[in-house]
Amino acid sequence: MVSIELKRDRLLMRWKQQKYEWIIEPRYWRNPILWSLLLLVFPLFISGYPNILTMVTMANLYAAITIPLALQMTGTGRMNFGPQFYLGLGGYTSALLNLHLGFTPFFTLLATILICLIIALLLSPITWIAKGLYFSLITLILPLALLDLTYIFSDLFKGEVGLMGMDPIISLGRVTWNYVAYYYFSVFLMLLFLLVAEKISHSRFGLTMASINENEDVALMMGVNVNKYKVFYYVFPSILTGIIGWFIVHTFRTFAGVTYLPLDFMIKMLIIVMIGGRASVYGMIPGAYFVCFLEEILRSIGTSNYFVFPLVLIITLVILPRGEGLYGLYHKRHPRDYFPVMRVRRE
Amino acid sequence: MLLVKIQSVLVYTFLWGSIYLLISLGFSLICGVLRIFHLGYGVIFVLAAYGTWFFLDAGLGIIPSILLMILLQIVITLLVFYKGIFQRYLEQEEILLTLTMLVFMMVSHLANYLYPVTAGVNLPTTIIDGTFKLGAVRISYQMLFAALVGVLVTGSYILFFLKTRLGLIIRAMSQSTQASLLLGADVNRMYCLAMVLSIIPPTICTLMIAPFWSIDPHMGSSLMMTAMLIAILGGLGNLKGSIISSYLIGFIHASISFFYVSRFMGFGALIITLAVMIFKRGGLFAGETIW
Amino acid sequence: MLTIKNVTKRFGGLTAVNNISFSIKENEIIGLIGPNGAGKTTLLNLLCGIYKVDSGSIRFQGKEITHLAPNQICHIGISRTYQIPQPFDAMTAIGGVTVAVINGKKRENMTLSDAGLNASYFLEFVGLFGKRDTLAKDLTLYELRMLELARALATSPKLLLLDEAMAGLNPGEAAKALDMVWSAQEQFGVTILWIEHVMKVIMKAADRLVVLQYGEKIDEGKPETVMSNERVIEAYLGGKDAEN
Repeated sequence: MVSIELKRDRLLMRWKQQKYEWIIEPRYWRNPILWSLLLLVFPLFISGYPNILTMVTMANLYAAITIPLALQMTGTGRMNFGPQFYLGLGGYTSALLNLHLGFTPFFTLLATILICLIIALLLSPITWIAKGLYFSLITLILPLALLDLTYIFSDLFKGEVGLMGMDPIISLGRVTWNYVAYYYFSVFLMLLFLLVAEKISHSRFGLTMASINENEDVALMMGVNVNKYKVFYYVFPSILTGIIGWFIVHTFRTFAGVTYLPLDFMIKMLIIVMIGGRASVYGMIPGAYFVCFLEEILRSIGTSNYFVFPLVLIITLVILPRGEGLYGLYHKRHPRDYFPVMRVRRE
Repeated sequence: MLLVKIQSVLVYTFLWGSIYLLISLGFSLICGVLRIFHLGYGVIFVLAAYGTWFFLDAGLGIIPSILLMILLQIVITLLVFYKGIFQRYLEQEEILLTLTMLVFMMVSHLANYLYPVTAGVNLPTTIIDGTFKLGAVRISYQMLFAALVGVLVTGSYILFFLKTRLGLIIRAMSQSTQASLLLGADVNRMYCLAMVLSIIPPTICTLMIAPFWSIDPHMGSSLMMTAMLIAILGGLGNLKGSIISSYLIGFIHASISFFYVSRFMGFGALIITLAVMIFKRGGLFAGETIW
Repeated sequence: MLTIKNVTKRFGGLTAVNNISFSIKENEIIGLIGPNGAGKTTLLNLLCGIYKVDSGSIRFQGKEITHLAPNQICHIGISRTYQIPQPFDAMTAIGGVTVAVINGKKRENMTLSDAGLNASYFLEFVGLFGKRDTLAKDLTLYELRMLELARALATSPKLLLLDEAMAGLNPGEAAKALDMVWSAQEQFGVTILWIEHVMKVIMKAADRLVVLQYGEKIDEGKPETVMSNERVIEAYLGGKDAEN
């Protein structure tokens, strides 16, 4: 069936007539392993401060939401103004199924993936029918339509208060241990999404998608099935975002659409992508941590934080180099790497 | 009963449609001439309401407040938006959009911080008080006046674009900037003129509707949503399309309110716009030139 | 190998291609010539599936390909270059050719690195191996044309459609490019349909010529025969008494 061979510097996997190769490069693994160890060891020092732990968990979740978003935006070269649509969809699906039908968290995960897959496939024609700007506008409007829908059927969705009391994923004895467990879950999710996104963008799919971004007609002539790639790059990140919705529901155990669906949340996600550096998926992590820490720090200066927060973000955005953001300060982008020009009005 | 409902729908289509004209005119203008999707358009509404209140609070009369507020608007639009953002980031569209959104967020949160909803902001801009009955429908004079002002302002803008030399230059620029540059148009000055022109209708609109639609710091986003929907439905950047779709959206809102439940008003407009964007790409008058 | 029968294409009121029929045999180089606006590029686009044929049929190796999508036509074995080079601007040269290698045909047992090796072979064939890591927007015109050729060859075509491969090249570069095309034909065994305006090149290179004017075929045959046809001379030079 699947045969695996270890050559001198690569791992070869063969399945039927397909060959996959994983080039083993230990010298490039040192930094990611060190950072991952740091993330994993970190909570043992602060397990006495649950609010910092919650904040870092939230930062991990923000990173996990923006990693598929970056994959989608860098992949398709178009702005997606509504990643939170699938967040809300996944969250409400798991919350409702858990509360009313008693599904356990595992089954709500499967249901979330299924529902997000179906709805993303239903909406995927917009990727090839709607030209550039209209695609972005449709994605802008969808979460607001969902929000309106939850207000309309507010007896089901519980309007602004939201749904409460869903089952947790895991319930250890003490509350602090729960927080630590949730932190490790969020780190695991974030690193998993990072690995998947990075492998996709540096594989033949990423290369082909880059050629579609550059010149769609020529790519079509070179044998690329353009629509298939566009649909994949729309559906797959949407499913990943839906999984985060499921995670939020079963970790924080409350879910209100009004927190995640309106424009404020979307701007935060967009800022994380911009400031973190959209040239590379790794950039989402410093971006998310930066925004979360900034929010915490500014919260202490009182109610004026609501307008100082955008001000600080504006200054940061103007100062940082375009596209490389915070991650670019750590690791300069090689000119060889593909960096798509993001055109909102892309055809 | 049915007759009363039909009358109400017709009357309110005209009233709301004309007010929506004012709201969306500036947005279509910027979309059509500068080719930029100005997500910070809501700033104009917030500044109009809270800027006037700021000057009123400082003790000035209503007319000086309005004039100072317009001056403040022009300064902010030209300095912050045009020079600060649009000119620098024209090639980097994602940063441009994010920055305009952030500026809008900053301004509306600042307004919320200085004058929260409980501060009792109200603008004494009622021209005529009271209501009257047209057939079986009760209308307030202020709303009628706002609608008439809307039609008047739109009419003067159309005259400007069709009959004057500056209007001709702006129309040419909206079709091809390069060609206009080659023919000697001062593109930068025309862009500034277009931006200043786009401030006027929303400001007038905010002043007119302040008495009967409440002012709150976050009114910018809902009004901008409406402007965006109207612009998209009519074809981005096309004034004719904006005019027609203002009345269309007014009709949709009115019929849903009177024939169904008014809760669904916004949702209905969203769904119809989604459908138009998917099936007739580009809106009603796709083509993206000003007229 | 390729048979075009009664192909017609109308754009609104303008008939760009009117009832054209000819056929191409294996391992030939066919030149498609004619004055501007004769419908040559339109015919090429029809062959590639970018435009839909109004009437007529196109058969490739016995199979009907009239209504296939462009990427399916590429998989069958037809590939093209462009009149104005259209590289993948922000990708490196080798990246662009690797895309063509992976997607051109269904490849078995090929990983991304293998595709990269294959692509570098094509780049070396056209002489661009030293520039494989340069972004395509930084290449000169001659290098861009060579990149186009490498990209088209990387999809392992049986029929290669060249659209004005010599436009904008000085005589030295044109000679080099012609040599490249000939060695491509020998080494990869491709049949070539070549639209060209530079008469010297096409007279040397082509086995047969097809002449179009105003969307209709006015002559077909060996280069010398075609060039002495009165109608062809009139189409190019306007009908006055002129030397050949």
